[in-house]
Order: sequence, then structure tokens, then C-alpha cells
Amino acid sequence: MGYTDTLGADTDEDDDESLDLDFESDSDVVDDLDDQSFSPDCGSDVNDSSDTSSFGNDVTRSTFLEYDSKMDNFNPSSGDGTYDSDGIPKLQYNCLTTDQIYGLMVARLDRIQPIFQLSHGDIIVMLQKYAWSEERLLEDWTEDQENVLIACGLKVEKVLDGPRGIQTHSDFLCHICCESNKQKTFRLECGHEYCVECYEHYIKDKVPEGKIITCMSCSLALKNSDIDDILGDSSSLTLMKSSIKGFIQKHSKHYRWCPFVDCNCIIQISNISSLAEFPRLHLSPYVVCENQHRFCFKCGLEVHAPGDCHVAEQWVKLAQLECANLNWVLKNTKECPKCGVNIEKNGGCNHMTCQSCGYQFCWICEQCWTGHGGGFYECTHFKKDDKQGSADTKNSLRKYTFYYKLFSEHENSVKLDWTLGLTVEQKVKALQENMGISWIETQFLSESIRALIDGRTVLKWSFPVAYYADPSHNLTKIFVDNQALLVSAVEDLSKLLQIKEPQNIIDKKLEFYNRARFVQTRGKALAGCGRDLLCKGICVPFK
Amino acid sequence: MSRAKRVMKELQGIKDDPEAKVDLQLVNENDIHLLKGSFLGPPGTPYQNGKFVVDIEVPMEYPFKPPKMKFDTKVYHPNVSSVTGAICLDILKNAWSPVITLKSALISLQALLQSPEPNDPQDAEVAQHYIRDRESFNNTAALWTKMYAPMNSDSDSQQIVDQASLYGIDSGLVNQFVSQGFTEEKIVEVLRRLGIKSMDSNDNETANKILEELLR
Repeated sequence: MGYTDTLGADTDEDDDESLDLDFESDSDVVDDLDDQSFSPDCGSDVNDSSDTSSFGNDVTRSTFLEYDSKMDNFNPSSGDGTYDSDGIPKLQYNCLTTDQIYGLMVARLDRIQPIFQLSHGDIIVMLQKYAWSEERLLEDWTEDQENVLIACGLKVEKVLDGPRGIQTHSDFLCHICCESNKQKTFRLECGHEYCVECYEHYIKDKVPEGKIITCMSCSLALKNSDIDDILGDSSSLTLMKSSIKGFIQKHSKHYRWCPFVDCNCIIQISNISSLAEFPRLHLSPYVVCENQHRFCFKCGLEVHAPGDCHVAEQWVKLAQLECANLNWVLKNTKECPKCGVNIEKNGGCNHMTCQSCGYQFCWICEQCWTGHGGGFYECTHFKKDDKQGSADTKNSLRKYTFYYKLFSEHENSVKLDWTLGLTVEQKVKALQENMGISWIETQFLSESIRALIDGRTVLKWSFPVAYYADPSHNLTKIFVDNQALLVSAVEDLSKLLQIKEPQNIIDKKLEFYNRARFVQTRGKALAGCGRDLLCKGICVPFK
Repeated sequence: MSRAKRVMKELQGIKDDPEAKVDLQLVNENDIHLLKGSFLGPPGTPYQNGKFVVDIEVPMEYPFKPPKMKFDTKVYHPNVSSVTGAICLDILKNAWSPVITLKSALISLQALLQSPEPNDPQDAEVAQHYIRDRESFNNTAALWTKMYAPMNSDSDSQQIVDQASLYGIDSGLVNQFVSQGFTEEKIVEVLRRLGIKSMDSNDNETANKILEELLR
């Protein structure tokens, strides 16, 4: 799917009360995001025909080529229009963190300060109260300044003129903890004074809520500088972050958290109107965060091509329904088909060799490996078992189990590949140190691992599509064949990435490139084919 | 430990102010985290002449976290569960502030009895009753006060009150179905579930609905 990173994009067309962040003025952010998209520049092209030739069928073959030729247009194109050459709407988005969003909010303070004639601290409190919506704040402000100030806790009805901030006493009795002999206290102009320890406790409890923190006794607001005075340097930043989090939740149309574990990126879509076009095209608005996590902006799942959001949603629902009895059994171990010893797959490709009897078999179909090697995997075909002729329900459960098994196998493999990705980083380091190879020249390894993970993810999500697709249709057959090709491409690449000796890796650099590139092309072909199934109504997710 | 000091001081404060007509006692002399509070029903309401007892649990983080309070006395009120005594009051949840004391919280409960908030109900059935027929609600609430919250426990409060009037249900309506062979207990249960207190004798649609539920 094509997209562009249009930084410095004009966000003016945003509707409702979206935040109009001015990126043109913030070059830091732009620099950070500049190299978001990656499109590996591969050394040479892979000859597809040798692989597709294993099918005698001419129709099948020509369709493959059609998909392949389409693929060339799938790369991010450089046009400025709202659609790319395939008529796919372009998403314009930015990747931010809560810190950055807060930074941008603060950067705008100077601009609006002349309107209010108040200090930055006061304006921040007001913005916090108005959920960072300048428009609503200004609207109310022009109507009734006094009311806004009171509502935000910047003023109380009676005139106050006490000292504000941390005070020192020789013997103070705090009414919260009822301890005497307190020396350090805090008070606002309202005169409600309590010991600093109680205030610390009170503020720490309130910070995660992200709301304005007031005096314990009345509605007068504590400003960020007060919070910093009580809790120590820049503690108020945590409160601001919580407040921004609330803001993002409120504006979930424009913002979405990266769903990956421990990733703090937030994607902000600027041309939100184009989002509406994706479902019609059976596409999903995929975005990439700064940490290279790709996910669907609409449903928050990882990339689920070739399935669209509807397929993914139905599949996840179904999986939740069925998982209780299936998950555990399928996920953990398998018995060696020959000697029956329990085997746990802890990484690598699906070509298994039993440690105890030496039997070679395919992890997925548990059949002998002979017959798998030739670049064509029989085992992703679901063979209808006509012999039994049993009830439909039983068959549909078997069908589901079959596809769910495949889905979860590849899900596990993706997880293992993430760990493999970490070891690859070590390999890269080793290459740099031992062989004296520059960093840029070792990038083919991390690109390969990315291609592998992306390929596996496409594969994984192709099974729900296959599950919902009409099996008798010719295009479904083509889809299944495309699946098989991707499986073989992915397994080949996976095998290659198991190589440990540095010299060997360097020698096979070209092969790495080719295989990675091949996985990418096959992945895109499969995604395109799956989309066709959806567009033509051959794959209809049912309940 | 500030919690113990504060609770002891609050207990003393209540003893020193008998005018407030609020009582607070430790359940167990050695344990400051369980207390029982009580106050009188506000005059001019169906709760007047009643004494309401509240179970109080003081959490470790008190006074930075609110105390847990629930009515020990059964109360017929939209914001109090008629079954568990759970209370729906903002200051006992997110609007809590460390300056609020157990005494002021009890006084707030008293004020809650005075002015119910039926749009934010704890007990939906009672709230419906309050909104639909205030007079009937007042009668039921007064009956509950007399039944469950008597000032002097030896008064004539222990009289047996029939199920129907306890929930403000028209006894004629109950009798109509009793004559059809259903038990009173079952009829009251169904009518409560449907939120029906009384019925026009010509309203066949409602009568059928009740009958349908009874036969289920």
C-alpha cells in the first residue's frame, strides 16, 4: 500500500476541533521523522518464472504475472495528489510522542499569549481544563473572562491576597495528617495551608488522572511551577503527559497509539477525510511509527493484509470464541510423527529434524519433508475430506481449526523472528568488528529480517482470508497458490537467516538481497490477490 | 502513622461537638480501620425520626483515599441500594479531598437523604418509583424508616408489614393476582421487576404482561 510522509503538511483541512499543529515551524520533528519509509534497494531482480513454472496452468501463471506487474506500482510514489497511481488514497500522518505533542502545545503559547495577557502557567491550566482545545477556550473567553478564570481555578469569588508557595514555620499543625512540628508547608492565595508531605502525597495520587490539581480545600488550581516546587524538578511534566493522554483518547479519530509493546509513539493523521475511502477499497490505512512498527490506524491491529479490517475483526472475534479449547493444545508442542517425542519449536524455519530419531518433517503439516523442498508447499492447501461426509458443523469446525492452526503457527513464528531480529543486531556488530565491514554494508541483514517479519505477517493474515473465501472459485485457487509461493519464499529466507558464521553471511549477501526482495514481491502479490477476492465478493466474512 | 492520629482526632472532634448530632464509634477498640457512624434522618423528609447507621472502613491511604461507607440500616432512597446499602455519592469517590472528614462525610450523607439525585441512581427500581409517583415513594420511604430505623428499638416498629406495602405496591393489585392462585411473594417479586406499583383495572395489556411473567 502506498503512502507518503508529508511532513510540513497543511493540516488546515482538519474538521471539528482537531489540533492544528504547525509542523512547518518545528524542524526538529521533521528531522526525526524524515527517514520513516523504507524501500530496500535490491541488487538485482529475482526471476519469478522459474518458480511459477512449477504450475502447468497457463491461466494461473498469467494471473501471477499480472499481480507481479501491479506490484511495481505499489511502492510509495512521489506524486503530490491525494491518490497514488492505483487510485489508493494517500495517508498523511506524523509520528509523535506525548512529549512532542506537549512541546508543540507549549510552542503555541507565545502566539495566543497576547490574547489572554496571562502568564504561560495560567494559560496551560486553562488549556488543560479545555482539553487543549484553543477554539473552545477562546470562545468562552470572549464571552465571559471572569467565568473562565473561576472555572479553571485561577480565581475565586472573594478577593484574596495571601502569600503563595512554600512557607516555613517553626511549629505547624497540619490538619490533614494531624501532626504537629511541621516546618515546611504549602499554601495558595486562599490561605488553606497544609504540610508539604501531605501535598506530595496528594499530588502523586492525582497526577495519573491528568486533570487540574486544586488546593485540597477549595477550587484554586496549582500551576505547574507549584507542583515542581513541591515534588521537585519537572514533576509537572508527568501531569502534562497524563493530560495529553486524555487529549489523545478524546481525539481518537485523529490520533492512535502504536499498539506495539513499550512503544510510545502516537500517529496523527492529518487528512482524516481520506480514511473513509479505505473500507470501500477493501484496504486498511496502515501507518509506520518511528520505531518501524507497522499497524492499521483503523482497528489498531498489526498489518493484516491481505485481509481488510472486517476480515481481521471477524477473525479475531472467532478466535476469541474458539481459543479456549484450541489455543493451548496447538501452541505448545508437537509430537515427532515418527518416534513420538515431544518437540518444541523455538525458532527458525518449519523444516524440522527430530533430535532423537533424526526424522525430517514439516512442522506445519507433520508430513515427511521430502516433497517440500521444491519451492512449493502442499501443506497450505486445505484438502476437503469427502470420505467422512459428516455434518456441516463438524466440517466447518475442522476447517476453522485447520486455518487457525496455520494462523497461530505463523503468529508464533513472527514472535520468534522478532527475537531473531535481536540476534541479527549482534551479528551485525560482530561483522563490523571482526570483518571490518562498514555499518551501511551490514544493513542487508536488518532489511532481510524486516522483510521476513512482514512476509510472515502477510502470510499469517492470508489464512483468515482463505478461511472466509469461497473455495470453489478459481481466484481462491490462485490465492492459495500465491500463499504457497510466499510460504516457500519465507521459509527460504528464514533458513538463510539462521547462518551463523560471519564470512558465510558476507558471501551470501546477494542471496540475502534476492530472497528478501522475493519475499516482498510475493507478499505484495498475495496482498493484491486477497484484496481482489474481497473486492469481487468472493471472500465474505460471515458471523 | 498519620492515619491513626487523624482518626483518633476525628473521634475526639465528634465527641466535643454533640450539637452536630452525629455519632462515630470504633467497632473494636484496637482497630482503627472499622467504624460505625450514625446520624438522624433530616426533618421534613420521609426519613425523619429515623436513626441511620453507616458502616465505615478506613483504608490505609486515608485521608488521601476516601473511606468506604455503606448503610447498615436499610434505606429506601434512589442513591442507596435497597439490598446492600451501597451509596452513590461523588465525595466518596472521585470528588474526595483530604480535607473532608468522616464527620463531614456523614453530614453529606444526611444531606443526600434530604435531596436525592434520581438521575444518578444506585437503585434503579427505587429511582423509578421516586420519579413516577413521589407521594407513593414518600410513603414507602417513611414506612422503611419506621421499620428499619427506629429511634428506640423497643417501640412498636417490629410490627409485621406485608410485602406489598414495603415496596409501595397497591395491595388491591396484589390481591387481584392472589385470587388467581399466585403467591403474594411471587407477585411482589414480578411487580418489582417490572417496576409496576399500581394499575388501572381496565389496562388489559399490562395485566397480560404481568400474567406472562408470573407464568414464566
